[in-house]
Amino acid sequence: MSTPKVIIISSDDEKFPVEQKVAEKSILIKNMINDLNPDGLEEDFEIPTPNVRSNVLSKVLEWCEHHKNTVFADDEDEDVKKSLPVEEWDKNFLKVDQEMLYEIILAANYLNIKPLLESGCKMVAEMIKGKSPEELRRTFNIVSDFSPEEEAAIRRENEWAEDR
Amino acid sequence: MSLPAYSDLNSTWNFIQPGLEFILGAQGDQGVTSKMYMHCYTAVYNYCVNKSRKSDAGSSLASSYAPNADNNSYSLAGAEIYSKLETYLTQFIKGLKKEPHESLLEFYVRKWTRFTIGAVYMNNVFDYMNRYWVQKERSDGRRDIYDVNTLSLIKWRNEMFQPNSDVLIKEILDLIEKQRNNMIVDTSLISTAIKSLVFLSIDANDLKKPNLVIYVNSFEKPFLKATEEYYSRESSKFLAEHNVVDYMKKCEARLSQEISRSNNYLEEHTKNPLLDTLNNALIKNHAQEMYDQFLILLEQNQIEHIQRMYKLLYKVPDTLVHLADTLEEYIKREAGKTLEEIKVQAESQAATAASTEGTPGVNGAPTRSRRSAGSGVAIDYKTYINTLIAIYNQFNDVVIKAFSKDTRFIRSLDNACRHFVNKNPIATPTTRSNCKTPELLAKYADGFLKSTSKEADILDMNADNLMIVFKFINDKDAFEEHYRRSLAKRLINGTCKSDELEESIIHRLQEENSIEYTSKMTKMFSDMKASEDLKADVRNHVGENLVKEFNPLILAQSMWPFKYLDDYNLNVPSELQAPFEKVIEIYGSKHSGRQLKWLWNHGRAELKANLSRKGKPPFLFTVSNVQLMILIAFNKKNSYTFKELHGIVGTSRNIFEAHLLPFTKYKLMDQSPPSSGPNAGFNDDTVLTIVEEYKSKKLKVNFISNIKTNEPKQEEDEANKEIDEARKNFLSACIVRIMKSRKVCKHNDLINEVMPQTLSRFRAKPLDVKRVIDQLIEKKYIKRIEDNCYEYMT
Repeated sequence: MSTPKVIIISSDDEKFPVEQKVAEKSILIKNMINDLNPDGLEEDFEIPTPNVRSNVLSKVLEWCEHHKNTVFADDEDEDVKKSLPVEEWDKNFLKVDQEMLYEIILAANYLNIKPLLESGCKMVAEMIKGKSPEELRRTFNIVSDFSPEEEAAIRRENEWAEDR
Repeated sequence: MSLPAYSDLNSTWNFIQPGLEFILGAQGDQGVTSKMYMHCYTAVYNYCVNKSRKSDAGSSLASSYAPNADNNSYSLAGAEIYSKLETYLTQFIKGLKKEPHESLLEFYVRKWTRFTIGAVYMNNVFDYMNRYWVQKERSDGRRDIYDVNTLSLIKWRNEMFQPNSDVLIKEILDLIEKQRNNMIVDTSLISTAIKSLVFLSIDANDLKKPNLVIYVNSFEKPFLKATEEYYSRESSKFLAEHNVVDYMKKCEARLSQEISRSNNYLEEHTKNPLLDTLNNALIKNHAQEMYDQFLILLEQNQIEHIQRMYKLLYKVPDTLVHLADTLEEYIKREAGKTLEEIKVQAESQAATAASTEGTPGVNGAPTRSRRSAGSGVAIDYKTYINTLIAIYNQFNDVVIKAFSKDTRFIRSLDNACRHFVNKNPIATPTTRSNCKTPELLAKYADGFLKSTSKEADILDMNADNLMIVFKFINDKDAFEEHYRRSLAKRLINGTCKSDELEESIIHRLQEENSIEYTSKMTKMFSDMKASEDLKADVRNHVGENLVKEFNPLILAQSMWPFKYLDDYNLNVPSELQAPFEKVIEIYGSKHSGRQLKWLWNHGRAELKANLSRKGKPPFLFTVSNVQLMILIAFNKKNSYTFKELHGIVGTSRNIFEAHLLPFTKYKLMDQSPPSSGPNAGFNDDTVLTIVEEYKSKKLKVNFISNIKTNEPKQEEDEANKEIDEARKNFLSACIVRIMKSRKVCKHNDLINEVMPQTLSRFRAKPLDVKRVIDQLIEKKYIKRIEDNCYEYMT
């Protein structure tokens, strides 16, 4: 008998059969497999993910497949992790449109895939870094709703943070 | 099943509650499906995410990061659903019902087992809430908010455990007692219930830190109390019906049962208090019964049971103190008894020997046990030392086998040995007599070290035994004095059996005591070696001569126990003078300013006497120096008057007479007028004539052994005097040294400081110290100031 697969079902009912260790990159899925199969998987196991659409799920599973053998440091030292740059593969992998990036981040949060969530958030952070308010408004499609007086006041208050 | 509206609390809760019923087992043992599981998770997720976001779920990054128009702070949702869950759990646990046929413990364990599985599921189902809302609340300092698993346990503790704890704990303890009574019980009930108490011991401030509060307070304390009561009862009852050895076996069995119980289902935390409780009830409280048995076991030499007792009492180390004391007293008593028996035996043998010889009391003792004045029968040194060794070995064996060389018991043995070696009916017949052991030990050493002893007599005598007794001797100085005297004799008489053995003993004495201790003996050995060289030199310088072989020994006066005696002052006849003068000349050229004196009373000569019948080989006489000079004179003429001969030879009259007597007694000389009795003296004009032809069956004749002087007795007195003198000197030096550094010192302080310094040599009595102090005052080293104080005088 072949090794049982985990079959993840997207909100639009597409089935993604994957190896157990790929699926278990999601802590949510890992916990559930353990809870419901205390003696280990004996047959294929279907898991619905009612919050993730197939195009996003396939992207997320691609990431899980790539990282199936990666050991992520389970350390508590958040500061060290935060300051590390996004890993090169992840960076290329996440070079997608804003819409998709946002969906991936949401899915990673929902499925509890911490390293993916972190990479996604860092990508957004890099999009913000070093940009002027005008550029940011352009990038994220934000309409300025400050009056010129308000804007001047805010600039004065935050003068100390200006990079001169 | 479709997911509920994202942000509606009630519809969300109504959606997940049926899933929770399955998860917690409210629906019997029906399985939870992955769909049910994921839907519950998703419902909680959606509720929390959308409730937090407040604004409509946008589809672009921008909308989700834009500041909320109504409220600038971004808040996480969870509180309401958490409180719903709390209420639900309370109701759920309260609703659990015991089956009529089961005990509370059975019910508790059954429900607990299922509940904790469910709690873990729930924790994962509510993972999103745990991850964000619970964590934020806790990091904001809310200590009454817990992750869902912990919340479940706390609800269980409050709603299930606490209301039932008294009955529950009693049922657990009853079950343990049944097990102790060898009944078969379901230990999984005990272990699961106990384990639950560990899980319920939650530290609200740090959920990760193990905390045994519930376990310790609710279970451990009553458990230890029940244990104490159980074993107090059992041990007293058992001892009333069985002997102590059986009791000890019972203890061993009980202890091992309890240890395995503790390993099986008690927390590590309980192990030590449990052992303390058991040791107290089983061992400490019954130590007295074991002490009483100890003496009986010693009598019977029941090593195995003594070891058993030791191992039990070892668990309560305090109880060993008395056992060690008891051993010490026992050894002292046994040794005293044994030595008394030997003394009595020797006395009765002496009495028998005396009566058979018909001269009771005087000179009648067997050859080995000479009667010495005032101290009853002098015991044979070999029997005496071997007895000491046998007692030591007997109990050393006990210490090794039964007490695993425990230092406490080694100390007991040492103390006891030190006591009986120095104080026993043989060594100290009266309380005031000086201990004879050092002297007897020196004789023992001489016994196996001199080449003249018969091998068969000294088989069981050796240096190891010597060192064992030596270690325990208080008066080390007395041993040194006596040992050195016998060593000196062995050296000058050439009766050392083995130089190697001699030196190894000196080395061991030095290791056991100090370099200083053996310095005189070491010097004696080097004198002997130097004399060898001198002998060769002298032989080279003195050519053919009347003297065939000459062995001069140059001995440093202060090292050797020999005294120059004027009484022995001899005239060396001219034909013998050459080698003597050569010694003085050669030695003088090497060491100018040193004075040499001949110790005529020591040393011996061998001479060929051509007094045999024609055709027979000449006799070989072994004679003293005085005797040598007497015989040399007869080379000139055959007859002398006593006075003439005395004039030629020199020495005091007594000495001369004593050395002359063996010649007449063994018919080498005729005496005229004839002697009036075997030991009668000579007159000045008694004529002594050497026989023409000497008659003896043996070719070798020794004339020394029959010289009657009172030297042995003198020597013993001399040794004791020297010891006394050395002690006084040592004490003086000690006191002067202390006073020199202290300048002023109180009498008692001085005594207290002096005493320990003497320990490696002897045990000083305060009176001795006082005498020496008085002498020092007389000699003006120190003076007495005010009351009980001394001052150093420069």
